[in-house]
Amino acid sequence: MAVPVSADERPARAVSARHFVRLKLRVLGNNFRGQAWRIALFVVGVLFALWFAAGGFLLLAAPGMTDEPRYALMTAAFGGGVLTLGWLLLPLVFFGVDETLDPARFALLPLSRRTLVTGLFAAALVSVPAVAVMLAVTGLVVTAAALGGWSAALVGAVGVVVGVLVCVAGARAVTSAFATMLRSRRVRDLAAVLLAVLAALLGPLQLLVLGAVRNADWDRLTGVARVVGWTPFGAPWTAGVDMAQGRAGAAVVKLLISVATLGVLLFWWSRSLESAMVGAVSAGPAKAPRGALGGAIAQLFPRAVGWARRDRFGALVARECRYWWRDARRRANLITVAVIGVFVPVMVNLGGVSFSTEAGTSFGDSAADPSPVLVSISMVFVGVLASLTLANQFGFDGSAYAANVVAGVPGRVELRARMAAFSLYVVPILLVISVVVAVVLGRPGWLGVMAGGLFAAYGCGLAINVFISVLGAYSLPETSNPFAMNTGAGVAKSLLTLLSMITSAVAAVPFVVAAALLGDVWLWLALPVGLAYGAGAALLGAYLAGDTLDRRQPELLAAVTPRR
Amino acid sequence: MAGAGYRRTMTDQHPALHLRGLAKRFDTKVAVAGVDLAVPTGSFYGLLGPNGAGKTTTLSMAVGLLRPDAGEARVLGYDVWADPVRAKSLLGVMPDGVRLFDRLSGAELLAYHGLLRGMDPAVVDQRAAELLDVLALTDAGRTLVVDYSAGMKKKIGLACALLHGPRLLVLDEPFEAVDPVSAALIRDILHRYVTGGGTVVFSSHVMEVVERLCSHVAILADGTIKRVGTLTEVRGDRSLEDVFVEVVGGRTATGEELSWLSR
Repeated sequence: MAVPVSADERPARAVSARHFVRLKLRVLGNNFRGQAWRIALFVVGVLFALWFAAGGFLLLAAPGMTDEPRYALMTAAFGGGVLTLGWLLLPLVFFGVDETLDPARFALLPLSRRTLVTGLFAAALVSVPAVAVMLAVTGLVVTAAALGGWSAALVGAVGVVVGVLVCVAGARAVTSAFATMLRSRRVRDLAAVLLAVLAALLGPLQLLVLGAVRNADWDRLTGVARVVGWTPFGAPWTAGVDMAQGRAGAAVVKLLISVATLGVLLFWWSRSLESAMVGAVSAGPAKAPRGALGGAIAQLFPRAVGWARRDRFGALVARECRYWWRDARRRANLITVAVIGVFVPVMVNLGGVSFSTEAGTSFGDSAADPSPVLVSISMVFVGVLASLTLANQFGFDGSAYAANVVAGVPGRVELRARMAAFSLYVVPILLVISVVVAVVLGRPGWLGVMAGGLFAAYGCGLAINVFISVLGAYSLPETSNPFAMNTGAGVAKSLLTLLSMITSAVAAVPFVVAAALLGDVWLWLALPVGLAYGAGAALLGAYLAGDTLDRRQPELLAAVTPRR
Repeated sequence: MAGAGYRRTMTDQHPALHLRGLAKRFDTKVAVAGVDLAVPTGSFYGLLGPNGAGKTTTLSMAVGLLRPDAGEARVLGYDVWADPVRAKSLLGVMPDGVRLFDRLSGAELLAYHGLLRGMDPAVVDQRAAELLDVLALTDAGRTLVVDYSAGMKKKIGLACALLHGPRLLVLDEPFEAVDPVSAALIRDILHRYVTGGGTVVFSSHVMEVVERLCSHVAILADGTIKRVGTLTEVRGDRSLEDVFVEVVGGRTATGEELSWLSR
């Protein structure tokens, strides 16, 4: 062992992507050690992934296996496009990204940016979703092979591999860039605006697509598919079909497009990665003091919470209110709720309505008339989704929750305050959503039904989610990336999300039924009944879950404290 | 304060903190294997131990942050796990390795802690201003605690623990990562607190601090108490460091290994 330093002049051994992959597998393995439930969750996740992979495979392979070349391009372009889009957007909205290998941990190691990016990228590929997608898209290779033989299969295979790489790189680049954006306090307001604009753009786009689908003109659809096939979203997936149908030139160009996209995404990711590594601690001091300082209590309570009594409940509400805005992770969730909340109902309800009619006259034709039932369902979805943000509310706090445990805060007060603070942000958003949707649909008279359904679902969702937040809490990594997840937590989160959404939706079903059965009376009754139903459900939830919380405060603290 | 009532009735017969047979195991590793400790009221108690000895685990179980597998913890006679409300109202805690609600400013954090403890808002305002002033944190203004330096974080943590005037103060590594000036200030405040009838239990592995401050010492290693008593009893006629190293059983470098460190 006793070798002097001077003897060790050989160049250090090169670090390759293999090391990163092995590191990731090792971290994954260590995570399972002695944690039977984690293994169980992982297995469940793998089964789900296989199920989806099989479904996707059959869908994508169908044109080839049934020998229907007419649909081949469409399946590849639309299926692949949706897949890519999903990979880009879902991590932002629902799942987060698995940051088993947190880039900040590598900041001190002498690694070039290229090594780091390829390594982290390779590690990112070793994940259940990536493997599942890879399995699913081999369906496209089967289609290409069935229609065009070996050459087409080969081109298709290359395209599909590049496509999966584009998906993974895209997800990383988008979340990383978005995280950087949100971390900087100066730009955080801009981020909200940007997202809103993005949503505003997505809406009309969706309308166009749905309008095209409704007109069910195969030629036009094929035209759209052809266009999508030339974008980075469809290029990797359609190359094989092009080859099979004798357009070798197009296939080559599409492969080039795909590779170029991959390069651009990786470059973009490497840029934001650097700032993630350096700015991991904090983005500099806060804004300069604004206005008179006043007493400590006056500083704690934001103006919106001025009504609250200066007691335990008030303090909790005030602190939560501050946190929903100051904590990047929570803010990202709030913004998501706002964006999805406007986007989904407009999309669902305006799906068939054409914009060609003049404002003021009735929208669309009778076949596309929005119905109270459909509106109620979409509103229930938004309400449930909004409440879902609280499903891991204690995870947001992390070990800081110890302060509440030490102070011995009663569970019911704690949960009621958390609901109240979150509602201070969400209820105005929900109101705006109802008004916007009612106006856009041209049915101001339905405002009551919409708001009623929304608040009923939101209240039920709160009731379910406080339980989940107490019983199913998990720790979040202490990184600067608000979308980062701990290894294995992804599956748990998805399952809990699913469970929570289903139970909340079931609890809100009476509203949809009432909208279907009661007719016009309901238009007026829905709002008061909905408010009462939602508020009652939420309070009952806090009452029951508060008891549970009282019994397991230390366990909850242990669950949300990140392991080191 | 509510504490004043208990003081005269029943708490004087009880130790400020009484641990009996506290034990905790994580998976297969035994972190704390049955700790008994009686901290007399009015004492300045140092819990010494090397890294990984189980100090944080013991203190966490003593204050209600971590549920023990066995044993009980009493604060001035009130069982922390059976009667948490009473026990916790007498307790001030500064945990280590636990984040504060650090997206609040110092003043906001104090206001939050004060109201959580059910204090009167006017009293909170007055005490918060005083604490920030004494701890030299007033200049930080509205800077969020997350942007504080390590020493400032320790100080605001101490302020949060002191705000409601607890009878017993439990501090986990209060002098870790603190510069000498802040350390002197913290020492001074703790000293005054004990002189005024309070009890302090703190963990540390800095011998000088323990020797200078403590009236009582317990040495914890491998999850059990190895030595316990007043400072003079434990120390005898040697230095505390000698006793500590002997009890813990450290190894010293022979000079043979790590030779590559010298050119």
